[in-house]
Amino acid sequence: MTAVSTRSERAVSPSGPAPGIQPRRRLRDSLTHPRGTGIVLVLPAVIFVTVFVLVPLVVAVYISLTDFPLIGSYRFIGLTNYISALTDPAFGHALLYTLIYTAIVTLPILVLGYVLAVLVRRRRRGSTLLRTLLFIPYVVGLTTLSFFLVLEAQPGSGAVNIVLRALGITDGQTAWLVSGPLATGLICTLVVWAVSGLTMVLLMSGMQGIPSDVYESAAMDGATWWQAERRITIPMLRRTIILSLIISVIGSFLAFNQFFILTAGGPGTATTTAVLHIYNKAFVQLQLGAASAESILLIIVTGLITAVQFWLLRERDSGKGALR
Amino acid sequence: MTAITVSGRRESGTKIALYSAGFVLSVIVFMVPLLFALFRAFQPAAVIQNPPSTSTFFHLGWMNFAHLGSQAHLGESIVNSAIVAVATAVLTALLATLAGYGFAKFRFRISNWLFGLIVVTMMVPFQAILTPLYLQLNSMHLTNSLLGLVLFYTTVNLPFGVFVMRNAFESVPAELEDSGFVDGAGTTRMLVSVLRPLILPGVATTALYAFLASWTEFLGALTFLTNAKLYTLPLALVNVQQGAYGQVDFGLLAAGAVVAMIPCIVLYAALQRFYVAGLASGAVKG
Repeated sequence: MTAVSTRSERAVSPSGPAPGIQPRRRLRDSLTHPRGTGIVLVLPAVIFVTVFVLVPLVVAVYISLTDFPLIGSYRFIGLTNYISALTDPAFGHALLYTLIYTAIVTLPILVLGYVLAVLVRRRRRGSTLLRTLLFIPYVVGLTTLSFFLVLEAQPGSGAVNIVLRALGITDGQTAWLVSGPLATGLICTLVVWAVSGLTMVLLMSGMQGIPSDVYESAAMDGATWWQAERRITIPMLRRTIILSLIISVIGSFLAFNQFFILTAGGPGTATTTAVLHIYNKAFVQLQLGAASAESILLIIVTGLITAVQFWLLRERDSGKGALR
Repeated sequence: MTAITVSGRRESGTKIALYSAGFVLSVIVFMVPLLFALFRAFQPAAVIQNPPSTSTFFHLGWMNFAHLGSQAHLGESIVNSAIVAVATAVLTALLATLAGYGFAKFRFRISNWLFGLIVVTMMVPFQAILTPLYLQLNSMHLTNSLLGLVLFYTTVNLPFGVFVMRNAFESVPAELEDSGFVDGAGTTRMLVSVLRPLILPGVATTALYAFLASWTEFLGALTFLTNAKLYTLPLALVNVQQGAYGQVDFGLLAAGAVVAMIPCIVLYAALQRFYVAGLASGAVKG
């Protein structure tokens, strides 16, 4: 996104001997404001991200190469932490579990988000209100929603069990949070319900950017609703769909709050996600070096997902109507 | 067939029926759980923790909220969360405004480079640098400190804010600044008096996102705070859930979660315009 806008800005600027010494710019820089005002303005923000993101990032690489404990001396041990991370069955299990969780929730979030976007995209009676209402779970956030679910997942007394018993599906005594598969199913349902509102809003604004005459001529040719969706909406929404997929995949990959609150990664380590595993390794077992190595691996994976995003978005830059 | 027309053509009866059904169904699916959560907060703990019986299920009252006030740690945690969220919103908006102005309206040698630096940090998930970040804050005596938490949250929200504010300043016409200059405005007066009305929507977007992101942030608070007096609301609720304040009280948990929920809904509903503007800026983060 950003790269694209910087590029276009450069393309728009009037051609001169070199960018940055156009007379208009220079006049304002040298007369309106004192010299160096620009750099003074951006400096606080630059200092913040340097101190609290870039330095820790470098430190993470450094301590991942040591046997760093919280207290005491440490020494360099090369790539040992990386090798043990990659061969550690617990980390492998956490990564695999995170992948499975991501695989389960991604498609339902997209499909539900798409259906909701279709529902609210057109100006109809109540559609503005509906958009607002359907987005509220996302705004409330998974942390708060997880606390609600703690109550409602209780055997006998929780609403989940009450409803399932009323429908005759279970006896209402299911202890959701002490079984790996049941807890996973419950958390996946919560997440799909909570975050599909974001996908809805993203896809909806994309859909509204598609010119209506495309649909009118399709209708003239006798296209059915589904044909119009499949041949017009989905191809023109390609970039928006990829964007919302990437957002939900990265979000799922970094999942922590709902798992910590609802199961604490249990029973055993059955529902321990990658971030939860790293958190435990660093702050419960105090193996900071090993935890940093695993963090770096996680950064590489999310970085790869981001790279795939840019690669997918750059290729075939057509369908301009849908590029909101 | 006429899926999207702005011309307001009459829709077929089937479509109107489908829309109405979808409307009702989605409102039930997405709103009933939240309304039920609200309802729960007014039930006594004993009712929440036992199988429902028609005789007690609708005996509602404010007792859980009264407990929230009298339970010292929970009351404090609500205040802590509010302090942290407001301070984060103000500081993020301030720093992002300054940086947005600098990046949009000034050209200096490393400006593109520094902007790239800030954007790159948007792609580093803070979840993945928690360990060194903890060491960093610890060495600066900023763990177990609300100030430390505010500085951390501000950093997390800054890249998005800078992005939004740069866009806001770029849409300000150069003539406006020129006329301000003719009137003798310096950099500060230019920002405060001349440009303020035009960039205020961007400031509102930045502050709103920063508030919502920090009000119930969980992982960072869990990592950087160990002193129970400084706990934010979600951490205090984990303690309630685990029975750290005596016995597990689900009434307290329900009421506390409702207190966490209400500001999000109210702010979103009131400032929806600014929220949507943030989504449209294209710098959304998962």
